[in-house]
Amino acid sequence: MQALRDAMAIALCWSLCFPAPLGLAQEAAADQAPTQTRHRPEYHSGQLSGDERILHALNRFTFGPRPGDLEAVRQMGLDKWFEQQLHPAGIDEADLNVRLAQYPAMQWSVQDLLFRMPSPAIIRQAIDGKVQIPSHGTLHAVYENQIYRLQLKKAAQAEKKNAANAAPAPAANSGTADGGGMNMSGNPNISASAMDANATQPANAYASAQPASAMQGDMNAAAPANATTPANTMVPAEPGAIAGQPLVDQGMIAGILALVPEERVRRLQAMQPEEFEAFIKSLKPVQRAALQAGLSPDLRESLDDLEAPEQTAVQELFAERLARDIYANAQLQEVMTDFWLNHFNIYLRKNEQMPYYLVSYERDVIRPLALGKFEDLLEAVAHSPAMLIYLDNAQSMGPDSMAAERNAMNAARRPGAKKQAPEGLNENYARELMELHTVGVNGGYAQADVTQVARVLTGWTVDRPQFGGGYIFAAPRHEPGKKIVMGEKFKENGEMEGRELLHFLATRPATAQFISRKLAIRFVGDDPPQALVDRMAKSYLSSGGDIPAVLRTLYHSPEFWAASDFRSKVKTPLEFVVSAARASNADIQNYQPLVNALRQMGMPLYGCIPPVGYKWDAADWVSTGALVDRMNFALSLAANRFPGITVVWAPELDVNTLMNDTKSQQVIPTPESEETRLEAMLVAGGVSGATRAAALEQFEAQSAGAPGAVTTVANSSPTLDAQPPGRPSGRDGAFRMGHLGPNRAPAADAYEREDQLLAGLLLGSPEFQRR
Amino acid sequence: MNRRFFLHRGALAVAGTTMMPNFLVRGVLAQSAVPPGQRLVVIFQRGAADGLNVVVPYREKNYYKMRPSIAIPESQVLDLDGFFGLHPSLAPFKPLYDQGQLAIVHACGSPDMSRSHFDAQDYMESGTPGVKSTEDGWLNRALQAEDVVHRCAGTCEAHSAFRALALGADVPRTLAGKVPAIAISNVNTFSVAGRGPAPSPAANAFEAMYAGSGDRIFHAAGDETFEAVKMLRDANPAQYAPAPGANYPNSEFGNNMKQIAQLLKANLGVEAAFTDVTGWDTHQNQGGVNGQLANRLSDLSASIAAFWRDMGDNAGSVTLVTMSEFGRTARENGTAGTDHGHANAMFVLGGPVKGGKVYGKWPGLENEQLNEGRDLALTTDYRQVLGEVVTHSLGAENLEMVFPGAQLSRAGFLRLV
Repeated sequence: MQALRDAMAIALCWSLCFPAPLGLAQEAAADQAPTQTRHRPEYHSGQLSGDERILHALNRFTFGPRPGDLEAVRQMGLDKWFEQQLHPAGIDEADLNVRLAQYPAMQWSVQDLLFRMPSPAIIRQAIDGKVQIPSHGTLHAVYENQIYRLQLKKAAQAEKKNAANAAPAPAANSGTADGGGMNMSGNPNISASAMDANATQPANAYASAQPASAMQGDMNAAAPANATTPANTMVPAEPGAIAGQPLVDQGMIAGILALVPEERVRRLQAMQPEEFEAFIKSLKPVQRAALQAGLSPDLRESLDDLEAPEQTAVQELFAERLARDIYANAQLQEVMTDFWLNHFNIYLRKNEQMPYYLVSYERDVIRPLALGKFEDLLEAVAHSPAMLIYLDNAQSMGPDSMAAERNAMNAARRPGAKKQAPEGLNENYARELMELHTVGVNGGYAQADVTQVARVLTGWTVDRPQFGGGYIFAAPRHEPGKKIVMGEKFKENGEMEGRELLHFLATRPATAQFISRKLAIRFVGDDPPQALVDRMAKSYLSSGGDIPAVLRTLYHSPEFWAASDFRSKVKTPLEFVVSAARASNADIQNYQPLVNALRQMGMPLYGCIPPVGYKWDAADWVSTGALVDRMNFALSLAANRFPGITVVWAPELDVNTLMNDTKSQQVIPTPESEETRLEAMLVAGGVSGATRAAALEQFEAQSAGAPGAVTTVANSSPTLDAQPPGRPSGRDGAFRMGHLGPNRAPAADAYEREDQLLAGLLLGSPEFQRR
Repeated sequence: MNRRFFLHRGALAVAGTTMMPNFLVRGVLAQSAVPPGQRLVVIFQRGAADGLNVVVPYREKNYYKMRPSIAIPESQVLDLDGFFGLHPSLAPFKPLYDQGQLAIVHACGSPDMSRSHFDAQDYMESGTPGVKSTEDGWLNRALQAEDVVHRCAGTCEAHSAFRALALGADVPRTLAGKVPAIAISNVNTFSVAGRGPAPSPAANAFEAMYAGSGDRIFHAAGDETFEAVKMLRDANPAQYAPAPGANYPNSEFGNNMKQIAQLLKANLGVEAAFTDVTGWDTHQNQGGVNGQLANRLSDLSASIAAFWRDMGDNAGSVTLVTMSEFGRTARENGTAGTDHGHANAMFVLGGPVKGGKVYGKWPGLENEQLNEGRDLALTTDYRQVLGEVVTHSLGAENLEMVFPGAQLSRAGFLRLV
């Protein structure tokens, strides 16, 4: 043990004495952090100081530092910065707000959202006449288009059925033998035409070949998009190449694309569903881009709505969340929003309404209370339709309630009547409320307490959930009588029983421990010191569950600043993807590549099916497949290979001056100098000598055999593997290009490409996988 | 070839075998009777398949009464034993059954009564119905149990990076745990920085970085990753052509099965492979002889039959098992579909399987025989089936470790392997 501590002390000393091999200290720390469970070194033995302290705070309380963050916090003072993060109301979000303005629908109520971007369930009800189709305008077209699509799909299914069913006998016969000659070897070609003589839709074949886009994200649709091949789900897989599809006149397409934005969208709204479907499916990618060019956020939303309303809502939900994670200045609020969304996990595909309810859940329930009192948050979650539906409390009914008795009487009166689905107590939410939300699995309750909690919460339900209704307390469903939970009596008091119960649970010492430990795992380490957790729990209880008070205690604890914990936490996929976007200052107009990457890496947004949420510890996120995905993501992001995401690595480098003005004071960049610059920009705390050497060595090796290498004089000439042959590469190549001809763009390109590879390697390095 | 097997140096990998309590180690000293090179393939039908229309109890009068529009007529089922018949879309399974390689277990599933997809899938995959706090999956624990046996026998072998393989975006719950598992969604794109005959400069740089890193976890993960990438490159998946007659459907599932066959045949050291197949949640317009469910069954059976043919001489060492989170209601609902039910049917296919038989006690389909008056009752715990399968295919001996709390015993085995 002593030797270990000495080694750490030496490593720490090195890092303080020599800035370059800083990484060594972290490696030593990283080595120990994951394996030390019992014999932890004394935390106060090594405390972070100076810039490392700031970087540590940025690593833990934000989604990773952006270029300039270190300097800004240094100037403001770390303590002041932290206090500001705890009180985000005054933080300027001008940049973020511009980006969020792209998604107007994210401000709508759930009802509006469901009505204006209808779910498949709403469309089915519209077909059945249970939902009135808007009589005119944009929404009329939205509904008609979706109804048409659904009918196409049904027609295609019927066609397929008929095609496979050569014999004319209906499938739905009683169990007795139906005449001979029936077998499965029917030739589909025979019956298809005969059976469907009255089919009027010309586009059956094409309907069956509809791209999976409409189904994308379905619980059962596990089609993973490759992170490196951007899948813009709005683009059909094979535009215009589908058999049986009526051809769309190219002149007409060109005419529509030439219209001013408002006219363009209005023209599409005026189309009949058949026409719209044929038009949209026949667009080539470049025409698709032209169609979307210059649209205001409202018009872009309207256009997307015409084609795929539910998908539009889901994509905006994803985009809005990632935009905040990446661009919000109130980072701690976003980190805590992510924390609570995971703590109070809800699965996007629980049912067809859930994506819509999640918009409100995140916006109205979680984020506003993320840095408030835990009890307020718990109450808001308990009243949220999203949670009541996700954990089935909306269906729970007291076995002795008035509603249950009425059902029983009705059933007795009409014994032949069609039975309704059995209704009764549902313990799902009751159990998770204690196990996952408050006291924890060892929090001192038994199965009997679960049942009692379920009884307390009967009647807490959702008004007309299929239309996005809100919370209601349905008194007739509430179980009468007093209840006892963990020894505490709750006398019969309707909805108030539940509120008292939530207060009771929120103020348990077990809850203080459970929440504090989880926060410490998120912010400190996979196995946080008990003394720290105890101190946080004490703050929790004395402050009435005030989250900022608990975080302040954490911030002011020596355990938080232990040098051994510097960059010791493995980033989750979300933390990795978001921190990479932040570090590289990426300008993101299209979040789909990030959404795809998260799915590929096994952490889809709102995609955790079980209520327990994603884990924060290393073991869940380090696997062989995951590492391949991270490396490829880093390279793709750095090399601008994601559509709609722009990264510029050398904006401050004035290539013209560099090449033409030999007296320029500007230092000519070398691979080493660029590596130093990018390393400081991207990796908080730097990389190890091994990582640096590996990155630079590849340049050397590559330049030796590269076509541009003939021009190399002194410096190594790095080049991207993707670079076409025959093109000058590397620093010297780029530099010489400037002398060879007037076209300087390729030279600037070459600089940028080199930086892209270097940056990609740094973002994919082991050091960047931790925070 | 010398790269094929290598030692895991990672902290995570090491943890997989050192965390074993001593009493467990002592308890499993029995020699493994399993011949080497046995492989297990697990298929999860997500969404709850309708077992009663998959393996049809066509002699049950009440079956036809309860399913007026979706029942499979007696004349259409592929008769198995005079009582049960396969759905006609499972025609590719019939020869496998007749040849004695395919066994069926009916009225089988998880004893937990949950009708929630996510709970039931979670329970089924963790192998601990009703217990949510279980962190790992049953298949991972089965591999851990295999390690215990081998370690004690003094034959600890280094494991391949492909030992526990999932075809899909991430490591599924079933395979989660201390034994390192690899998830691949496409063997043809499993490569760093492009796929050529040789590694790209970026891939080399990453490999050197991770090899030189003092970060123990990422150092180990890097080793495994680049080893796996190299093994796959050497196996040259782009060159792969299935065996003659192995006609995989052009579906996601068919493609996954093809890739599993490919990896198994490449001798990469796969011991357990997992994939899933979706689209079974047939609440409305489920169809009968044709329709939604029929299409899913065609895909399922054609893909598995192609896999079997593709494996050829290697099939003797492979066991394949299917499962789904629960069955569906015995009665059809108001929308010509079925709702969430209880017991279901499982398929077990393999060289060592005693097939050609429908196993399990049949509870009957009369109204009073139904579970809660609505579903096929459960007579066989799915863990009983899996316990027997892992005993024979992976040599896992300590079933309490694989399925804690299930109290499985060899005496309770159906003796289908």
